[in-house]
Amino acid sequence: MNKILLMGQPNVGKSVLFNRLAGARAIESNYPGTTVDYTKGHLMLDGKSVEIIDVPGTFSLDPKDRAEEVAVKMLEGEKDAVVVCVIDASKVERGLYLTLEVIEKGYPVIVALNMWDVAKGGNIKINAPRLEQILGVPVVPTVATRGEGLRELVVRIREAEPVEIEEILNSVGGNRSGTYS
Amino acid sequence: MELTVDRRWDLVDRIAKETVEVGVYRPSLKDALADVTVRPATGIPVAIAVIYGFWMFFCEFAGTLFTDGFFVKIFDGHWLPWLQEVFPFGLGNWFYELMVDAGHMENGVLVASDNCFEAFGVLTSGLFIAIGVVLPAIIAFYLILGLLEDMGYLPRLAVLVDTVLHKIGLHGYAIVPTFLSLGCNVPGVSATRSLETRKQRFMMITLLGVFIPCGAQIGMMQDLIPAQIGWVFLTLLVGYLGVGWILNKVWPGGESPEILMDVPPYQMPTWGNIGRKLWIRVSGFFKVAVPFVLLGCVIVGILYLTGAMDHIANALEPLLTNVFGVPSDTVAPLVAGFLRKDLAVGMLEPIEMTTFQLFTSVVLLCIYFPCLATFALMIKELNWKEILGCLATLVVVVFIFGGILHGIGTIGGWY
Repeated sequence: MNKILLMGQPNVGKSVLFNRLAGARAIESNYPGTTVDYTKGHLMLDGKSVEIIDVPGTFSLDPKDRAEEVAVKMLEGEKDAVVVCVIDASKVERGLYLTLEVIEKGYPVIVALNMWDVAKGGNIKINAPRLEQILGVPVVPTVATRGEGLRELVVRIREAEPVEIEEILNSVGGNRSGTYS
Repeated sequence: MELTVDRRWDLVDRIAKETVEVGVYRPSLKDALADVTVRPATGIPVAIAVIYGFWMFFCEFAGTLFTDGFFVKIFDGHWLPWLQEVFPFGLGNWFYELMVDAGHMENGVLVASDNCFEAFGVLTSGLFIAIGVVLPAIIAFYLILGLLEDMGYLPRLAVLVDTVLHKIGLHGYAIVPTFLSLGCNVPGVSATRSLETRKQRFMMITLLGVFIPCGAQIGMMQDLIPAQIGWVFLTLLVGYLGVGWILNKVWPGGESPEILMDVPPYQMPTWGNIGRKLWIRVSGFFKVAVPFVLLGCVIVGILYLTGAMDHIANALEPLLTNVFGVPSDTVAPLVAGFLRKDLAVGMLEPIEMTTFQLFTSVVLLCIYFPCLATFALMIKELNWKEILGCLATLVVVVFIFGGILHGIGTIGGWY
């Protein structure tokens, strides 16, 4: 693995996660479109320094504005990167769409279910283990602003692997297991 | 294999059905607050209160507390007299003039300056403008901006002004680049990347470059003409909306599409993040702006010393006095304004002119050209046709605004 890309919709907390992981200084704000260009930093993984990139938020891989174009070009230019798909846990569906797109392109993916606290506050329950089972990639609940779940996220980055979309199509609607948390 | 859009959404639905359970939502205080701040009847008064509070804090914290209460005393009372005493060469020497004090003529005698606005040396005016006036202004501005950003207030403001901005072909989200530009035009111009069409980006960048003064400049204006600054803002606002409206009619690219924007829930800002952002932005200011202010002082000083400034002033005198009604001495600030607008505003202070001429000069300084750093970014973000359009807009605006203000001044008898 030579690079880690942080991708997700606008305002899901990618820059917060990036700053926590890389000890870097990307500007964080509570509105969509804070990051319009990418920021690079470094993360220590198994004693090795790996480049980590905070990519501007994008709704899909079909860019609608210049900031999204930057994001899509970034992804296309880094063929062997691991992608951390950051999802706003209170709006899972939207984040899943982009995550599936990235998986379909063949990238190894790990999902950060960020803003876990906001989802809880909104009385939204997500069965993370089941989601992990369906997607076949690691799914880690996080609260980036407080640093919760980040250690697990980092540890599990190496479990990220490419998945065939057919496998996901097959496992969805299958046996129900895991618990709601 | 890649799915079609419909099949992908279908899969998302199926996954969500199995993994997400949406319980009963209990509205909280945050939701009540969110409601109050976007509903026009309550939202507009709240917005006015927020902006007024922002402005008062900016004036009191930066202007009254730090600049007047502290830095003016240090710079004029101690730093300037001390330098005048210990710096070698003395009044009349070219190097002394450049670094410390150019002095001024009184009854045919060269007299030393008694404040850092008039001395015009790199170590006196340069440092005073950068540290004494602009630094507190930048800190005050970014402290409050950081708070508003982290709470999530800006998207609400965007919703409120959406109707007005749509009339000039922009989306409510344009409030975000505009607010960022009030700190510094450079991040403001970058933020236009979130706008959807080329036309919107072109219009927004042009309006920012022409009509939005940066925080450093506002700090200087507040220090120089506190009584007239309201009129400056009003003039710029009229220009922003008026020129926006015209550009929307004449520039090709069609209607502005509706953009759907997420309004995030309110969040409690954390001091850690506000502090970190403030530090990133203020240290950025130090690294980029301060050297430019000092460089600007040196360049202007050299232009004066070599007599080049007088030639430029003579050449532009007919334009400045006949069309705009301002003294030809304002040419020096206009030259400095290419580098730093804050420095340029500071250079207006020693020039003898009426209050109305000062007001006109401040407005002209805002609109005649964006600073070099902003212009460099504009070249990067726009294509050549758009840059020409932007420059043409700029020239037309300067002549129309300068001419109209001259007319108003003549009718009012303010010269």
